[in-house]
Amino acid sequence: MSDVSELPSKEANVLKGHEGGVLAARFNSDGNYCLSCGKDRTIRLWNPHRGIHIKTYKSHGREVRDVHVTQDNSKLVSCGGDRQVFYWDVATGRVIRKFRGHGSEVNAVKFNEYASVVVSAGYDQSLRAWDCRSHSTEPIQIIDTFSDSVMSVCLTKTEIIAGSVDGTVRTFDIRIGREISDNLGQPVNCISMSNDGNCILASCLDSTLRLLDRSTGELLQEYKGHICKSFKLDCCLTNTDAHVAGGSEDGYIYFWDLVDASVLSRFRAHSSVVTSVSYHPTDNCMVSASVDGTIKIQT
Amino acid sequence: MNTEEDDFVFYGTPIEREEDLTSRKKKAVAEASGHLRTLPSWKQEVRDEEGRRRFHGAFTGGFSAGYYNTAGSKEGWTPQTFTSSRKNRAEFKQQSMLNFLDEDEKEELEGRSLGTASQFDTFGFTAAEIARKQAEKEQQKSVKFSFWIANYRPSAVPGPAPDEIVLPATESIGVKLLLKMGWRHGHSIKDSHVNSLYKARREARKAFLAFSSDDAKSQPEDSEPGEEDHKRILDQPVVDDFPSSQSTPVRISPVYILNPKEDTHGLGYDPYKHAPEFREKKRTRVSGKQGHGNKQALSIKDSLFGLKFTFGPSAGRAAPVYEIEDTYIQEDEEPIRSTTENMPKLVWKEQGVLSGFKVALNSDYQLERFDPPVIPKDFLPHHKFPGPLEFDNKPDTPPEVPPPDDENLKVLIEGVATLVARCGKLFEDLSREKNQSNPLFSFLTGGNGHEYYSRKLWEEQQKRNGQKKIALDGKFSSSVDKMTVESRGKILGEMPLERSSRDLSSSIASVNVNLPFNLSDTFTKPESSSEFPEVAKPFQDDPGKQARFEQFLKEKYQGGIRSTVSSGASNMSEAARARERLDFEAAAEVIEKGKFNKENKLHSQQLMGFSASGGMQLTFGGLQQVKDTLDEDLATKKIYPRREEFQWRPSAILCKRFDLIDPYMGKPPPPPRMRSKMDSLIVRSDLKAMKMEEAFSADRNQPLALQFSTQEVSKDVVDRETEPGIQVENVERPVDLYKAIFSDDSDDEIEASNLNTKEDPEKKVEVVHSTLNRLMAGDFLESLGKELGLEVPPNPPYSTNIAGSSRQKESAIANPDNVNILSVEENSFSIPIAHGVSRKERAANDEKTAKKGESGKDEQPGPSKDKSDKVHSGKIAREDRKKAKLPPGLHRKRTSTSSEDERNRKRSRRHRYSSSDSYSDSSNDHRDRHHSRSKGRKKRSSREKASSKKHHKHR
Repeated sequence: MSDVSELPSKEANVLKGHEGGVLAARFNSDGNYCLSCGKDRTIRLWNPHRGIHIKTYKSHGREVRDVHVTQDNSKLVSCGGDRQVFYWDVATGRVIRKFRGHGSEVNAVKFNEYASVVVSAGYDQSLRAWDCRSHSTEPIQIIDTFSDSVMSVCLTKTEIIAGSVDGTVRTFDIRIGREISDNLGQPVNCISMSNDGNCILASCLDSTLRLLDRSTGELLQEYKGHICKSFKLDCCLTNTDAHVAGGSEDGYIYFWDLVDASVLSRFRAHSSVVTSVSYHPTDNCMVSASVDGTIKIQT
Repeated sequence: MNTEEDDFVFYGTPIEREEDLTSRKKKAVAEASGHLRTLPSWKQEVRDEEGRRRFHGAFTGGFSAGYYNTAGSKEGWTPQTFTSSRKNRAEFKQQSMLNFLDEDEKEELEGRSLGTASQFDTFGFTAAEIARKQAEKEQQKSVKFSFWIANYRPSAVPGPAPDEIVLPATESIGVKLLLKMGWRHGHSIKDSHVNSLYKARREARKAFLAFSSDDAKSQPEDSEPGEEDHKRILDQPVVDDFPSSQSTPVRISPVYILNPKEDTHGLGYDPYKHAPEFREKKRTRVSGKQGHGNKQALSIKDSLFGLKFTFGPSAGRAAPVYEIEDTYIQEDEEPIRSTTENMPKLVWKEQGVLSGFKVALNSDYQLERFDPPVIPKDFLPHHKFPGPLEFDNKPDTPPEVPPPDDENLKVLIEGVATLVARCGKLFEDLSREKNQSNPLFSFLTGGNGHEYYSRKLWEEQQKRNGQKKIALDGKFSSSVDKMTVESRGKILGEMPLERSSRDLSSSIASVNVNLPFNLSDTFTKPESSSEFPEVAKPFQDDPGKQARFEQFLKEKYQGGIRSTVSSGASNMSEAARARERLDFEAAAEVIEKGKFNKENKLHSQQLMGFSASGGMQLTFGGLQQVKDTLDEDLATKKIYPRREEFQWRPSAILCKRFDLIDPYMGKPPPPPRMRSKMDSLIVRSDLKAMKMEEAFSADRNQPLALQFSTQEVSKDVVDRETEPGIQVENVERPVDLYKAIFSDDSDDEIEASNLNTKEDPEKKVEVVHSTLNRLMAGDFLESLGKELGLEVPPNPPYSTNIAGSSRQKESAIANPDNVNILSVEENSFSIPIAHGVSRKERAANDEKTAKKGESGKDEQPGPSKDKSDKVHSGKIAREDRKKAKLPPGLHRKRTSTSSEDERNRKRSRRHRYSSSDSYSDSSNDHRDRHHSRSKGRKKRSSREKASSKKHHKHR
């Protein structure tokens, strides 16, 4: 079932430019471009397939922790240690709006489907939804049911899902007005949704990735082998949902089989902690970012 | 002066001096006396006694209202005489448009009025009309003249006629004569009373009959008016039938047609306004219904009268009049028609087709018929109920049969038998049906191994029934013959006295617990708790959980007084415990099913309900101390993931932005979740730990404390642990409470140097109390708070600055403050400085925590930091602290010795006090403490992780 040969194994490109660690690297919605952000307070736009650096976005006052781009590639949203959420225009590279309000560092940020709302997750134990349509810079909703830092957020058409260090993955269903809290018992570092939207992959600080069934909250599988004890490490599912990919603190990238949780492949991609992995939406291609300041494209 | 004035620019109206005013007045008076006499009235200016002109308003005369500001007029002043309008009331004039028109407009209007041009005015109507109008005008001028003129008739022949000489008459001579006789326009002749009218009509009818016989044949061509008359008779219209009326050429006496409203439409509403063809249709339908009898009569009459008859003279001049009338009448006279006319109509009426339409040969619309389902021939009207679970009616027991040689088959048979026994006969039927072709399942249909199967099935059923009966009513169980000591004990509700596996027995206070526990156990009905451990180990991988599960089972089936210890690990949050309990419930059910033990579900349900309010159960604080170590490792066990659901209200705009419908649209906001209470209790467990340690250190530091035996220490521990229960009250402090405590910090410190600090704290205590009470309204803690408000034990202030979010920080700070105040009041004339010192110290801590919150993880926890920094170093922290006491140097730096002494003294006081009433408190407080402890520990662990992670993350 799982074809190991499909998995990315060879290094196609190395994107260098960030000074200091890269904290996140993300493909855009069609996979043609890649965005990265890091400790050097910049966001960089790359063409990962040709290895070209396209643009740099500078405005953040501290490290940039997360970046997300709209479906139409017109707007960026980023967040970081300066407790602000920046809403950028991609083409001009200007900040359209700055959303202030988080009490401390902002860990993750995402656009919703229509790019009308930005949801940010902060160290201040809250999720905040910001309105991109109006000129208001006040959050339109603050969700503060978390009891610890919120590390990661995912949005669907109708739900806001967020993982927190308090060990919960909380799903806020806007349609029915319910909050579903799945307690994993371990601090959740990063959550990532499967491409079919049925499962949530949660990276926990006990060096385990956990796959949850979204509808029932059942723990479907645990993926172990890598090291994830103190860093916010990303994890993701491959484009076919057949494998689970994740970085490790020792610079390795791991691939697990989704079903039987066996490590299918592991290779040392970076010299230091692999902070972020992002899988191409259609191809067998993956981008990984590391504290060593490099972004690598694996095919 | 002038030069000076040039330099200044004046704004506004200068305030006038008193002298100026009076001088002007004088001037005005002088002017009035001098000028006014000389000037003509229209030149005079009216001024008041102050010499000012009065402005009456732009539209009311400006400066001179009325007639030169007088009430008079040019003619002089004449008072108006009163005239009553009483008599004039009747003179109400009907207004018309003409009243409001000017002369020229009227002319114009008259020119515009429509009329037949004279050369087309064949019958002279328009001419007559004009003539009449003019005649009326003339009449108004001189009646006589008009009367004379009225004798002339308007000429029917168009052409210029000298109007001066010949004026057309408005009325015919006949009308004139009638008028003279008393007839008036619009009235029928001889209608002075109804009777006469009626008579006339009767006579007319007779006359008609007479006429008809004569004239019907003689004048067949003029059928129309005659028929009309005939109709009128039938319908009895108000119109007079007298021939004379027909000769009135101009004034047509109005014909009232009785057209009764038969439909249900609104008045004046004509549904056929735009579709007259439907009106016809409708009418035919209606008449088809009601006009039947009528028609009959008509036909008779028709035959009686002959087909046609005429009446009255057929004067050429009057013909148009008839035509007019005809159009009136035709509207409602449909049913009465000559048969020749009616015939075609009747034909299409019967078909029910609109005029202009043709009936289609085959219509699209067909009534669809749904035939009832065909009942199969072999259907028996007998309901087969889903397989009965009990097979009591099976009379014969199948003989013992050796199992088939094939091991697989044997297993299969046994499995199926078990299933069938459990699920009922239906399952057997089903599987038989399903596996008809499968040779493996041939035993179901009587093939290989059928005997064995039936035997097995019987056995299973027996077993099952037996179990059931035991469960349902132990005394009448069918398995009486196999009764053993154990089973009898089970039935009688006895219980083996002591089970060594109990973890309770090892605890300090277990003596207290076990005694009533066991006693009560002997009286409740136990359901074989002994048989569970062997059978059910659903949590084998998790010994802690398994232990708890067993405890749970015991509880569940034994009943009696429960200790909360058994309800779960105390380090689990309430929610976690609830979840676990659910798990246990499920597991227990599975086991039950597995053993076919139909335990009375109601009992478990009740238990569930009871356990939901878990904290209410009686507990003994001392036990938890023991449990703690046990729970530490339990916390890491896999009870995850657990799912919880809460209400969450998305904001309206969020829904809008997500393009979703707000699920809470128009609903009041949901009540705030109670979680926040739990959250802010994070500090509690830490506090408690600190306090414990405090207690120990106090013992060491002060010789006074040594008099306490270890027993008392443990009691003290118990007592200490009741504190959070009190502190829970000010979990959600509003700002004013916060302010009440902090607002006058500076004052406080000043006053601290003074000796009379007593007033201030007392005041504060009052404030705090009132706020607290307000807060707790409705809470069951209210009374408790009132009682215990002053008895809150002193709390070391440095125990408060635990790294955490600001919220927690706040609560942590607020609590000791509250406590401090209280304690100060308690021993008010001891050392007032302590108050201030502790405050200062707290402020310092505040700063520190704030700083920490700001710069968070970049800072490394160093020894210079607060003790609370240790929290992050994990589970060992507490043990560390226990061993390592307080870092003395650190402590000295922050607190003065005097304050510490004082605190110690307070503490010792508290000890004495608490030993007396700790037990009464503990029962009440336990719930909250329990919450706080478990929650707090959990939170802390996660927080530790968070903080530790924080320190490493994003380096």
